[in-house]
Amino acid sequence: MKRVIENRNTTLTTDKPILKVFQHPLWQRLAYGILYTILILLAVIQIFPLVWLLFFSLKNNQEVFNTAPLSFPTNPKWENYVKVWTEGNIGVYFLNSVWITVVAVVITVLLASFVTFAITRMQWKYRNLALGLFMVGLMIPVHSTLIPLFSFFLKVNLMDNPLSIILTYTAFNLPITIMILLGFYYTLPREIEEAAIMDGCSIHRMFFQIILPMTAPVMATTAIINMIYNWNEFVFVNTFISSDKYKTLTVGIQNFIGQYMTDWGAIGATLMISILPILLTFLILSNRIVEGITSGAIKG
Amino acid sequence: MIRKKYSLIFALTMVFLLVVTGCSSPNTASSGNEQADDAEIVTINFMHLWPAGSSRQQNMIVNEIIEEYQDANPHVRIVQEVLENEQYKNKLQIISASNELPDVGMTWPAGFMEPYVKGNRFTPLDDILHGGVKELFVAGTTEAYAVDGKTYAFPLELNIVPLYYNKAIFAEYNLEVPTDFEAFKHVVQTLVDNKVAPIALGNKDRWTGSLWYMYLADRLGGPEVLTNAINRTGTFEDESLVKAAEEVQNLVDMNAFVRGYNGLSNDEGKSEFLNEQAAMYLMGSWELPNFTTNDEIPQEFRDNVGYFKFPTVDGGKGDIDSWVGGPGVGLFVAENSPVKEEAKQFVKFFVERWGDQAVARAGVTPATTVDTSVLELPQLYIDVLNDLGKASNITLFADVQMRAAVAETHLNMIQSLFGKQVSPEDYAKKHEEALAAEGN
Amino acid sequence: MDKVMSDKKVIALYVLPALLIILTLVYSPIVMTGYYGLMKWDGIGEMEFVGLANYTRLLSDSMFWQSVYHSFLLALFSVISLAAYLLVALILAGKIKGANVLRKIYLIPMLLSSVAIAQLWLRIYHPTNGVINSLLTFLGVEDIPLWLADPNIVLFAIFIAILWQYAGFYILIYYAALKNIPESLIEAARIDGATPWQIAYKIKIPLISNVIKVTIVLAVVGSLKYFDLIYVMTNGGPNGASEVMASYMYKQAFRSFDFGYGSAIGFFLLLICLVITWLIRKLTASKEEIQY
Repeated sequence: MKRVIENRNTTLTTDKPILKVFQHPLWQRLAYGILYTILILLAVIQIFPLVWLLFFSLKNNQEVFNTAPLSFPTNPKWENYVKVWTEGNIGVYFLNSVWITVVAVVITVLLASFVTFAITRMQWKYRNLALGLFMVGLMIPVHSTLIPLFSFFLKVNLMDNPLSIILTYTAFNLPITIMILLGFYYTLPREIEEAAIMDGCSIHRMFFQIILPMTAPVMATTAIINMIYNWNEFVFVNTFISSDKYKTLTVGIQNFIGQYMTDWGAIGATLMISILPILLTFLILSNRIVEGITSGAIKG
Repeated sequence: MIRKKYSLIFALTMVFLLVVTGCSSPNTASSGNEQADDAEIVTINFMHLWPAGSSRQQNMIVNEIIEEYQDANPHVRIVQEVLENEQYKNKLQIISASNELPDVGMTWPAGFMEPYVKGNRFTPLDDILHGGVKELFVAGTTEAYAVDGKTYAFPLELNIVPLYYNKAIFAEYNLEVPTDFEAFKHVVQTLVDNKVAPIALGNKDRWTGSLWYMYLADRLGGPEVLTNAINRTGTFEDESLVKAAEEVQNLVDMNAFVRGYNGLSNDEGKSEFLNEQAAMYLMGSWELPNFTTNDEIPQEFRDNVGYFKFPTVDGGKGDIDSWVGGPGVGLFVAENSPVKEEAKQFVKFFVERWGDQAVARAGVTPATTVDTSVLELPQLYIDVLNDLGKASNITLFADVQMRAAVAETHLNMIQSLFGKQVSPEDYAKKHEEALAAEGN
Repeated sequence: MDKVMSDKKVIALYVLPALLIILTLVYSPIVMTGYYGLMKWDGIGEMEFVGLANYTRLLSDSMFWQSVYHSFLLALFSVISLAAYLLVALILAGKIKGANVLRKIYLIPMLLSSVAIAQLWLRIYHPTNGVINSLLTFLGVEDIPLWLADPNIVLFAIFIAILWQYAGFYILIYYAALKNIPESLIEAARIDGATPWQIAYKIKIPLISNVIKVTIVLAVVGSLKYFDLIYVMTNGGPNGASEVMASYMYKQAFRSFDFGYGSAIGFFLLLICLVITWLIRKLTASKEEIQY
């Protein structure tokens, strides 16, 4: 076990060449050159949407539609941001988005870890059935659920209550979260559990102190995915929430869609504002994917 | 190890705290409302689609009217919920299924409201209509909200569809405003020859193309032919309805519309006109602010915009003062509202206040009569309102007239017709089939 | 060991909370959708029981079958593109300099909401001043395609946007899976003289095969019920050329006030997903047993 850990701790950028086929140093350089050119080109393409969005948010309708997407706005409309901040309750929406997203993500990832652990590691008759039950949750189109869920929340008196969306987000993200966790749990070595149980470790302690830290990278992965889904969701919010004080950021976008006219620049500014917090969280969580493996070490 | 444990416990506590606070705060809020109810305060829930961001003027007027009403009726509290068009329609249907409509809300006329009326969700407003409200409206507008002789909503807007054009482009190529269709085609041809896109159109939204078809149907077959085909006293395979489809395709063959029109949204299509890339644009009078008061659009361009009436067709039965258009959103009161009487009074007050404010400040052409001599309005508004007053007929938008399922067929067929994926004969036949299927 | 790992109380404690949420919030709508599917209902007023009439109508509805075909095409494309995502993840997870930064950049687009992505691709495909057509005009290409307005191209134009939209999602999953492989295994192979391609093909891919299977199911099911970009970018048009099952369902239920029929489509979609998932799991089941 020790050896494994040490090996994992070796730095990621050792100078072992990736393309050993080309033994000659010249070949190697060329191959690297081509690879990096492609990789950097891809990176530029991938960063392009952010730049586009920034430009978009500084244009008015005229420029949005009639200038090239990547052209710099001739007369940057910073007032789009002012408009977004001053009109409507964007501050309230923002806070709601944050706490609703965080709560739903934590609940979903925790519950999904429990379930995945029970399904992959514990011995019981109906675990395949249970897995099947969760997987069916992937398959229902969102719009089919709106009328039934509305009447359900009405009955249990959760209408216009943030709990209704938190529960809905949890329910609709559990299946995909479990599915992603599943593939990873299968690869966890069993010896660790066995050793822990031998040492007299209780099952809960084992789950929280060994399994969860070991799965930190994949938990970070599912947390990112959940976060993005919850943050950008608006159909459920619109349906179950009617008070302004519980609405989320996606509603801020609707503020600029009119009956006949839509203020695209302001929508761009709202999108830009709303992407910043998840960009930040993503960058932090994304490090966990790598760190998890080296620091969340196996101490069994 | 120990730090890990603590952070985990911390995380879990946070979750529970958040869940608990998340649970409890709404409860305290609602108990507060109940106490207020004890003091005999009547709450009217009002759902509309004018957010402060995109429809600032409308939103402001709504708030002022509400304030005024609350001041005059201190026991009434009006609570608003604002959703954007599309989301509004969805939510209306979802909450209807549980019979939870707001006390007052917005609906569209005819085909859209029919299921709500049949499902007994809206309440008839005839008592207030005949209590001094009917006189306020332009004659014939409330009829669009009537089912089986009862009126279920009051219109807030009334639009007609002029053919806007860019005077500068017309002047550049020595073009004159056409009054008949041959002259119109000549204008189109001249513009095409000079590599100017004649007509801005965003036909992804489909109802935009429908306007062209409706006018051609009207000019060829007269004001009744399309309406009759829809209400089943006539047929869609009427000669003039097929001919109108042919004329649409003739225009397509002439390259009359901007490039890629079938994949452009109305916003994208419109921008070609606003940027002087296209010379003409057929659209509702709700666009007038863009050509008069909207400061975001260059003054120079706004001064260049004029409009003309859709040209007549030689030998056709339609006259030039017949318009496509009709009322847009209207206010309804929910049948199962616990405060129905108060809600009706509020609706009455709202339509009384709305008209003059709406046209003067929000640029909405209201369904109530407007005295253009009193209000200070841009010339374009005065012209449109005067033409509206002189209209020999207003044919309600086809997709609004039709029941929802038929409207869907119509809109799809319009896109195919403009894309030349269907022949005029098949176009008419598909409509006839859809209409016949709905009939029984 | 076995006794501890089959403690019924623990299992119940771990599974029941999630199961309860799923049963109330996912299964009750499924049951209700099945129920509405047997009704003639506009989603507003009274319902009328019509038995299987909605389903017989479904069978002869050519617009619907066209949308089924499109959905299946999308599913096929999504599965094929998984290979490309895997390749990118393999490179990023390899020991190349700057992988950490590149990975973050690559995943940025997945943070965008579908509203933003749709707007972006509308600008890319714009018939006159879009990114692609500007480039083609610049290159002097004649007969420039109309992309979203051309019924022969529109579906593929949208597919590309969707594949791009999901790239980050799958690359992220594959990346995390690859990073989870013990370094010692790869090191051992390398010492034995294996080339990077051999390591990828013989060690890495087999080791993450469970994750790959999961992503296949996710890609197929996700494609079959796909809705977002299509609805915003083309609304299923021109005349149904880019209609998929979920957008057709939505139109029937919410735009045509035919909630009964829409529900029948929704339920049918669920059944298709079930069958396909079952098939995929049957076809890929073999290796899973060895893991136990």
